[in-house]
Amino acid sequence: MPQSDLSGSAVRTTKVVALMLTLVAASWTREPWVAAASEVAPASPPPIPAGPSGHRSHVQPFFATYCIRCHGAEKTKGEMTLHTLNGDLASGAGGELDRWERILEVLDDGEMPPEDEKQPSAVERAAVQAWIDQGMRDHVAKASNAKPAPLARRLTNFEYENTMRDLLGIDLELIKDLPQDPVKPYHFNNSAEFMLLGPDQLDRYLKTARRALASAIVDPEKPKVFRQTWSLEPKGPAFATMQPDEFGVYQGGGGREGAAIIPSWPETGEYRLRIKAAAILPPGYKEVPLQIVMGSVLRGDFGTGEYTPVGTVHLTNDVDHLEEFEFRGRIENHPMQVGEVTKHGQAPSTRHIYLQNLFDNGRLNDRLVNQFDTAWQFTVPRAVVRSIEFEAPVVDTWPPEHHTRILPASPLRSADPDAYIRDVLDSFITRAYRRPASPEERDRFFKIYKMLEPEFDSLEATLRETLATVLVSPQFLYHTLAGDGLTTPDYELASRLSYFLWGSMPDQELLSLAANNRLDDTDVIKVQARRMLADPRAQDFVRNFTMQWLSIEKSRAVNINRNLFPRFLYLVPNGERAGQEQLYRPTIRDYMIDETVGFIGELIRRNASVLAIVDSDFAWLNEPLAAHYGIDGVQGLRFRAVPVAPGAAIGGLPTQGSVLVGNGTGSAPHPIYRAVWLREAILGDEVPPPPAEVPALSDSAGEKVENATSIKDLLRIHRTVEACNDCHVRLDPWGIPFEEYNAIGQYQPFIPKNGAVVRRFQANVDGTLEGYRKYLETVNTVKVDAAARVPNGPEVTGMRDLKNYLLNERKEDIAENVIRRLLTYAIGRPLTYHDRYAIEALLDQSKHDDYRLQDMILAVCSSDLFRTPTRAPRP
Amino acid sequence: MTLKSHHLSRRAVLRGGGIALALPFLGSMSRAAGLVATKQQPKRMLISYIAYGVYDPVTPDGKAHEWSWYPRHDSGPVTLNKASAPFESVKDSITYLRGLDHPGGYGLGGHSSGDVFATAADMCGADKTNNVSIDQLAAKINGHHTRYPSLVLGSEGGTGSYGMSKTLSHAGPGQPVPALEKPQEIFNRLFRPYANHTVEDVRARLKREASVLDLMMENYESLHGKLGVEDRRKMDEYLDSVRAIEQRVERTSKWTHEELPNIDTKGLNLEATYHQPTEYMRCMYDLIYLAFQTDSTRFATFMTESESSTGNLVGNFANMVLGYTGATHDIAHKRPEGASGEWEKWRAEQHAYFLKRLRDTPEGDGTMLDTTVVLWGSAHPHGSHSTKDYPLQIAGGNQLGFKHGHLHNFEGARKKPLSNLFVSMLNAVDVPVEKFADSTGELIEILA
Repeated sequence: MPQSDLSGSAVRTTKVVALMLTLVAASWTREPWVAAASEVAPASPPPIPAGPSGHRSHVQPFFATYCIRCHGAEKTKGEMTLHTLNGDLASGAGGELDRWERILEVLDDGEMPPEDEKQPSAVERAAVQAWIDQGMRDHVAKASNAKPAPLARRLTNFEYENTMRDLLGIDLELIKDLPQDPVKPYHFNNSAEFMLLGPDQLDRYLKTARRALASAIVDPEKPKVFRQTWSLEPKGPAFATMQPDEFGVYQGGGGREGAAIIPSWPETGEYRLRIKAAAILPPGYKEVPLQIVMGSVLRGDFGTGEYTPVGTVHLTNDVDHLEEFEFRGRIENHPMQVGEVTKHGQAPSTRHIYLQNLFDNGRLNDRLVNQFDTAWQFTVPRAVVRSIEFEAPVVDTWPPEHHTRILPASPLRSADPDAYIRDVLDSFITRAYRRPASPEERDRFFKIYKMLEPEFDSLEATLRETLATVLVSPQFLYHTLAGDGLTTPDYELASRLSYFLWGSMPDQELLSLAANNRLDDTDVIKVQARRMLADPRAQDFVRNFTMQWLSIEKSRAVNINRNLFPRFLYLVPNGERAGQEQLYRPTIRDYMIDETVGFIGELIRRNASVLAIVDSDFAWLNEPLAAHYGIDGVQGLRFRAVPVAPGAAIGGLPTQGSVLVGNGTGSAPHPIYRAVWLREAILGDEVPPPPAEVPALSDSAGEKVENATSIKDLLRIHRTVEACNDCHVRLDPWGIPFEEYNAIGQYQPFIPKNGAVVRRFQANVDGTLEGYRKYLETVNTVKVDAAARVPNGPEVTGMRDLKNYLLNERKEDIAENVIRRLLTYAIGRPLTYHDRYAIEALLDQSKHDDYRLQDMILAVCSSDLFRTPTRAPRP
Repeated sequence: MTLKSHHLSRRAVLRGGGIALALPFLGSMSRAAGLVATKQQPKRMLISYIAYGVYDPVTPDGKAHEWSWYPRHDSGPVTLNKASAPFESVKDSITYLRGLDHPGGYGLGGHSSGDVFATAADMCGADKTNNVSIDQLAAKINGHHTRYPSLVLGSEGGTGSYGMSKTLSHAGPGQPVPALEKPQEIFNRLFRPYANHTVEDVRARLKREASVLDLMMENYESLHGKLGVEDRRKMDEYLDSVRAIEQRVERTSKWTHEELPNIDTKGLNLEATYHQPTEYMRCMYDLIYLAFQTDSTRFATFMTESESSTGNLVGNFANMVLGYTGATHDIAHKRPEGASGEWEKWRAEQHAYFLKRLRDTPEGDGTMLDTTVVLWGSAHPHGSHSTKDYPLQIAGGNQLGFKHGHLHNFEGARKKPLSNLFVSMLNAVDVPVEKFADSTGELIEILA
């Protein structure tokens, strides 16, 4: 059969099915599909009788004709056999409904039978699909068939830290002390399956809770305050060296630290840091980003220092108009430099403040040819800092608010200490449990308090230990569940909403609605969800959701081949770590992650169509990233939406650096990784991992540019092995169009000629941006082969074509995928065939809403499945 | 505090399916519940893991390459090559094994069989979950002889997740034991457990913790009773965690009556991080050595690299040590000449360093190496993505019944499950086991 006919029939089939399913959903009469099919098919076959008899009379013969050769007694490709399946779907098909759903999906997609096998007619295919669909529908419709999934799951580390922040009113870094949460590519880790509690974990929770409470509850006496101001003055007329108050482009490592050294005390508390600062801006520059960090000594060459940021300010004022900037933070979040041991004993520990001019126009490497060209720093923005003022702890109000929210001032404290403690426990436990605590639940902790009382010398100390036990109780560590006499479904819903959209506990407004049983209402939920998405806490949701959905964290760790991409990373120019990546400043890869997260955030904010994930009319960029992608006119480190012309090389997710770098090898693009990404993250397919015993695909680029070979040829060889071909024939074509983008995420449609000997990169000649471009032009002389025929689809040449295909033919798959991702993340459990028809309803709704993303999130929040995930979805 | 039936977690042992313990086990169970056993000659075990298989090319005449991880290709006496040269001085205490593996890991993906390296669990069977590892089984039976039942280390720390384990040790299904990765923290846990507190303070604190734990248990039970069946089952892991703390409290309390060992920290670079791989590896091996030497524990695992280091920078030792420009993981796929052999040699140097320290420490009428059995290897052979024929070296334990100096090839018709070796290793450290996982007997070839 000619190729065009094949793809044409596949598309037609999909349409028939869609039309049919809609009719089936609307009303199931005896032969609805016959009528539907007859619109496109000339002959209408007899209907397949429902249930086992239809299985025997039609479905089994269908399998025998088209499938059994590969999925029967002889061969069991894809671990799927069809000859033994139980045909009684309505009553559960002997636990094989998962398989039936898979069969339905591959028939639906036209994935099976494979294109080179005998094909059923569109009508035959549709009839079998309708029969499976009806059987599943009948099964799911019966609520008693729903298998309750466990919903008890602990908070993820991310949720734990946020919850502690909102509960205690102080933002502490706690995750680093907890065992790492599991990560599985393209999966969310907030499900019961992943959120296990290991033997060591409770112990760590207890330690973490003690540490947090040592910060939250202060001792009664006002502490001694450390306060110091450091001045930095220009020494005289400017020379070719920086003045002591000037900060040029940050080069990593220690450098000058502004002489600000903080002693090891106080151990906890809020600090206030003020700087008087200005900018020196050469013509054409509008601002300079200055980051302040605090931590141990940063020895750039050794890479041993640790710090956490205090904050960043974008300076625009000149030196004649110094401005004061204030930062607040918690002192305990900053690592300390442990004092050295000398013959006089151990020196006291310290914290060090560093000022980093993070100016970056994406061309810092122009100056790194041999060693850093210091004179250049004077041609780009410098920061001026005249004074640094540090104070800790802040005692403006004492005791601080986070203390009095647990221990309010009350005459009861002296009049009736036990009653006071009971009140304190009552209010803390209720907030910690995100629901009213029962009298027994509260009494137990009062008992613990009394048990501990003789061992501690103050009420504060006793309470810290008591509350630490509250924070390791399952009611705190696990998601709130409405159980037998525990709490109402409204409280459970309040928590589910807040952990979905904030990754944290519900606020007072949600809890009040729950208390009055007013939350479980479509309009109320939508109002709340909209309010929550507008709250800054929603950024946590966007980041956590996006990172896991798209599996982009790995882009940070791919080892970039520095011979092939000498300009991608900022390398240390000299010293012990010469040639290695610079530490202590954000890298282009951090910006790539910010780009992807910010892009999704912007789609939600604009309520844009979810199809923008495939292609968009804007990009989310800052200056270094724009320079990397070759886009002009973006200045500064702050991200913004930059309009993209139709047909441009960037737009949507597939062309973003986080995706392209993470799914490359660091030397070359990796069409398989990228194909897997597209199918998993965008189309929602589950791609099985390569089986054992399958020889690996060699890297296309080899060690050096000189011996590069075409990846397409390598894949062709790989596919000649049958075991490889079965999967790769459905995988490779998706990755080939990505070949136009190189391993560092740039549009690079030209590559070296096969087997050509090319000149190696020479830093002194090719080091600058212009020199490098010229070099690449001499090396990359052949247009890359980015043409592939999409499985069951048309031939596409390059990314543009692929995007057009996705946008025209795969809209519903893409929207359904995002709905499924949102829902899975929101309810914290994998979706099953039981949820199939609930998702179908959400998809219909979304189609009606033009697939707008914010609307989609609101629809998820107000869906039955979200409101009562234990209940079987209504058919 | 009185003992409760759950203190020696019998459930956890029984849950580890496929383990048949000989009768004396019951005896050791009651021993475990009793007081700290009298001093006896320690019998120890370490399992150390390297990722991505090994360099093992064959020369045209069918011999092993001079830079191959295996010193020779076929069965026969060990004569060292360039990559295995670091083992020269302990040559008489090492054995190479070819052709052994865990069928339970076959179905795992190309980078995942490391999960079952020390467990032999059938993760692709009905349960799809890992199971108890041999070090943890040994710790359950004989861990009461020492202050710590076991020591679990890994360069990446934590547990990792399904198919991407960062620890070799598992206490039972769904209970990976998090690996420790920071030398200073490991040192403090081992040798400075009371920090700056007096023993009396520590005992008082432990007593208080025990009473609080009882109330925590009560709190848990009240919640538990109100949940549905599915959720109740899920919450059992919380109960297990509370019990784990109870056990630890009780154990720590018992051990406060024993003196802490005095450790000379000279020469220990506890600040080493993965940025300095050679120093870091030495320090980790030093800590295992010290833990063994002071009899603080007898069972240890060390995942020197995980199979998922493409996702982070920690495991990319080859880049930092050799200046290799691709990903460390690429060495396994491309097997570039030069770098591959150098990489094997570096890994051998680190492991040999540990064996030599044991060999240089006299103990009884031999050395520590004679009473310590050390397994070293990977869950992938040379051919990448294969989950069969693990490259393995077993060392030490000359006084525990092992004989050394040969390479044994179990490929083809001589195939045996690797768990047979596990049975022999467990028996060597006084864990009387007849069967472990899919074992079919002992690995008699390496027994004296």
